[in-house]
Formats: sequence, C-alpha cells, structure tokens
Amino acid sequence: MRVLRSVLKYILAISVLSIFMGPMLWVAVNSFKTVSELLSKPTLVPRTFTFEHYQQLLKRTSFLRYFANSVIVAVATATITAVIGALGAYSVFRCRYPGRNLLFKMLISSYALPKVLVLVPLYVALAKLNIIDSRTGIVLVHVMLVVPFSVWTLRSFFQNVPVEIEEAALIDGCNRLQTVFKVFVPLAAPGIAAIWLNAFLMSWSEYLFASTLIITDSVKTLPVGLAYFLQEYSIEWGIMLAASVLVAVPAVVGFAFAGKYFIQGLTAGGVKG
Amino acid sequence: MRRTYSNLLRDPIFGLLLVTPMLLWLTFTLMIPMIDAFRISFTSVRYLGAPGVFVGLSNFKRVLADPEFWQSVVHTLSWTVVNTAIQFLGSIGVAIVLNQEFWGKNIVRNWIILPWVLPTIVLAIVWKWILDPSHGIVNHILFSFGLVDKPVEFLSSPRYALLTAVLINCWRWTPYFAVIVLAALQTVPRELYEAATIDGASRLKNFMHVTVPSISSVLKVVLLNSFLWSANIFDTIWLLTRGGPLSSTTTMPIYIYSKAFRNFRFGEAAAASVLMFLFLGVLAVLYLTKVLREEELK
Repeated sequence: MRVLRSVLKYILAISVLSIFMGPMLWVAVNSFKTVSELLSKPTLVPRTFTFEHYQQLLKRTSFLRYFANSVIVAVATATITAVIGALGAYSVFRCRYPGRNLLFKMLISSYALPKVLVLVPLYVALAKLNIIDSRTGIVLVHVMLVVPFSVWTLRSFFQNVPVEIEEAALIDGCNRLQTVFKVFVPLAAPGIAAIWLNAFLMSWSEYLFASTLIITDSVKTLPVGLAYFLQEYSIEWGIMLAASVLVAVPAVVGFAFAGKYFIQGLTAGGVKG
Repeated sequence: MRRTYSNLLRDPIFGLLLVTPMLLWLTFTLMIPMIDAFRISFTSVRYLGAPGVFVGLSNFKRVLADPEFWQSVVHTLSWTVVNTAIQFLGSIGVAIVLNQEFWGKNIVRNWIILPWVLPTIVLAIVWKWILDPSHGIVNHILFSFGLVDKPVEFLSSPRYALLTAVLINCWRWTPYFAVIVLAALQTVPRELYEAATIDGASRLKNFMHVTVPSISSVLKVVLLNSFLWSANIFDTIWLLTRGGPLSSTTTMPIYIYSKAFRNFRFGEAAAASVLMFLFLGVLAVLYLTKVLREEELK
C-alpha cells in the first residue's frame, strides 16, 4: 500500500512536470532539427543536430535588433519600476500622512482594471507628445502597467525589516535619506530584486501596448517583431522555433538567478504574511 | 526618546516626497488617460490628431447595436468562466501534488511556473507548432492511434479555436496560481491534520474540513484574480488566432483593439472599453471590498 502510494505520487508529479515543462522542451529539441526532419514524422532526438535555423534567424531577420530593443526597454522598465516602486512602497508602508490608505487602495484596485481602457487615450496622447513609435513611449507605459503590482509585492518584504534598525541608524547620526538608502534598501534587497525581475519579465513579454505604439521596424521589441512572422501564411517553422528558444533564454536565466525571491514575492502577495 | 525617532521615521513630508515620482507617473499614464477614455467615448475621432467632435451617446448606441459586440460579450463570458474554473480547480490539484514529499520537490516547485515566466509570443509559437495540423505532434499522435481520420484544426476551425485558446491560457496560468496555493498549503499546521485523523476523519474530510477553511482567504484571492485577469487577456488570444476564425475567439479586449486599430473608430473603441470597464467594475468593487477589508494598513 505504501509502495503503491509512493509510486502514484511520482507518477502524478512527473505528469504535472511534463504537462507544464514538456511543450517548451519539445520546441527546444525541434529547433535543432533540419528542415526535412522537422516537417516529417516527429522524432524524439534530432537525427542530425544543426544550428542552421539559428544562423538563418540572425542572418535573414532583424532578430538581433528586436532583441536589443527588448533588452533596452525591459532593463529601463525594470530599473525605473524598482526605484519608484521601492520609494513609493516605503512611503506607503513606512510613513504616515493623510490619504495614504486611499492611495494604497487605489494602487491595489488599479491592477484589476481592464488596461485596454487606456489603450486609445495613451495612443492619442503619445502621438501628440511625439513620443509614439519610440522606446521611451513603451517604457513609460510598461512602468505604469507593472508598478502597482510591485508595491503590493514589496509589502511583506518591507514589513520584515524592523523599524528599530532604522531608528538605531537615526540615533547614530544618519539623516532620513541615509537611513533609507544605507540601512533599509540593503535589508529589503530581495524584495527589490523580485520586483525588478517581475517588471523585466512583464516588459519582455508585453505585446498589446508595444504593438500599437510601435510602427517602425527599427524600434520594434521582440514580441512585436516576431508576431509579424507568426502571421505569415507559410510559417518558417525552423526559424520560429529557434526564435522562441532565444526569446525564452533571458527569462529563464533571470528566473534561475532570482526565481527564489520572485516566488517569495508572488506568494507573499496572496498569502497573508 | 524612542517615540521621537519613531515619529521622525514617519515624517509626513518625507513620505509624500518619496511617493511623488510614482504618483506623478501614474497620474499621467493611468489616471488622466482613464478620464480621457470617457471623454473620447463621447466624441467622434475620424483620424488621429483631429480634435474630436462631441457626438453624445451615439458611439455607445452604435456599439450596443453591433451584433459583433454582443458576440464578444458572450465570448468573454465563456472564456472567463471556463478559464477561471479550470485554473482554480487545476491550481488546487497541482498544488496538492506538489505539496507531497518527493525527490527533487524543491526544483519542481520552483520551475513549475515556467509557462508563466515565458513571454506570450513564445507560448504562441510553442502551441502553434505543437498543434499544427500538418506537422504538429498532437495531430501526429491522434492520427497514429487512429483517433482521427483527418488532422484537427485546433486553432483554425471556429469549432475548436476558443476552447483550444482557453486550454492554452490555463496551461500558462494554472502553475502561477498553484504556486500561490502551494504556499498557503504549507502554512496549514500539521497538528490540525493529526488531530482530525485521530478523530477519525478520512482524507477527503480532512481536505474539506481542515485544508479548505485554513486556506480559504487565499482561495478567494485566487478565484477573483483568475477571473479579473482572464477577462482582460488580449495577447494570448491575439497571437494565437487574431480573434478568428470568423470572430470565434473575439473577446471584448480583441473587439476593442480591432475597432480602434483595424477600423480606426477610436470613439467606438473607447465606448466599448468604457462598457467593459463598467461590467468589470462591478466585480472590481466586489474584489476591493473582499480583499481590502482584510488588508487594511496598520
């Protein structure tokens, strides 16, 4: 009976794992197959291992340019979000002033809003300000999309830093700003890392606003650039699979480094801590 | 002495200064555009840059008279309800499986969220490839087992497209919520189960009477978030099907997007988005009163 239970446990765990990880692995394997193998009967392991699709992707498409744009936009979004989000969260959770509770509620409710509501007004406004069709415009929007959730995520991290430590720093002669940057921020660093990664991933993936606000090929981000190829009647599968692997890599690497804090931040928002 | 420092820490002016950058940012990119959406919904903007002409309620009338709009409402409802149901039950199931003790559990518990971490464009490429009628593995398997006699057009037949998109979206979001439910499961004290088992409770009873009540506040948050976020999803559907075939996957966000950037009827698009805001607003209020009652700031 116990053996049976244990076997069942592993069967279930392996099924769950293969349902959620399998598809990506399958695509990664296929991206190294030759075109003829790709389009014939599926094989589990490539008969001939080739980098052909990766070479074609880099040679024939603007993939590298899109990649660079995405890196610029995502890093800028993540960094700005981490700075203004952390300052905002410190203010909301640590300071006392009238309207603070209202502000907090508005922040939480804003991520339940249908964001498509601001699509047209933002398009019109950015066109008027002449920052449409630019990376700046996208960063402006991406920070807005992710900052409320970031404040929420920081809540439990910030609550774990005792007020007494800041008081001690004040007594030792630090001024207010120094206590925040020299004492508080280093202690809350995992939380800030979590919101940085979350903002990076959101921006790296975001399609709706990026695709409406960008027209010129030279400023397109990865999702916008690649969506165009996916729309073609005859999709060049080899190239698309290689592209999807390369787009996934930064997300996976980022998660490998900071995933622990990321999960911690995610669950802290849902589980009352 | 101690009080003084405590008060200094809570200096109101300092607090307001720190929150200012975020506040300004959100005012200009979220608050003002939101108000502007309402204004645009009452105007007719035929091309960008032209000042809108006030047209009263005519955008709303046109949208409400459009059968495609109502079709999108129905699609949004079925998309959202089915997504929420599968994600909610699925995440509990996955969380229970992952909550067991097994070799490699820590790695699996972290990496299970991979589908959510991957960008939507990757998800679209992955599933379009797997479900491709001529080269995809799923059709190959169905075919070789003799379950179908011609390839299933998962994403390009009006019959299956919406359901396929729902399942793909669930594939992405179930692990996300499972990670949250799992964290909640781990906070349930073991003694509670032991006590219940001594009292003769079965596994099922244990689950219904110990687990569920202990994690119910998290389950409520999962349910509401799953619902609100599903209703708002655009990119997954758009990248998989572009709302087609024959509008069979056109939900409200897709309808609004197409109205604005395919038909260039910005006024009508704004009107439709205001309507969607009002529909979801009811739920958002529910969400707020539910979640925020428990989340008052100290």
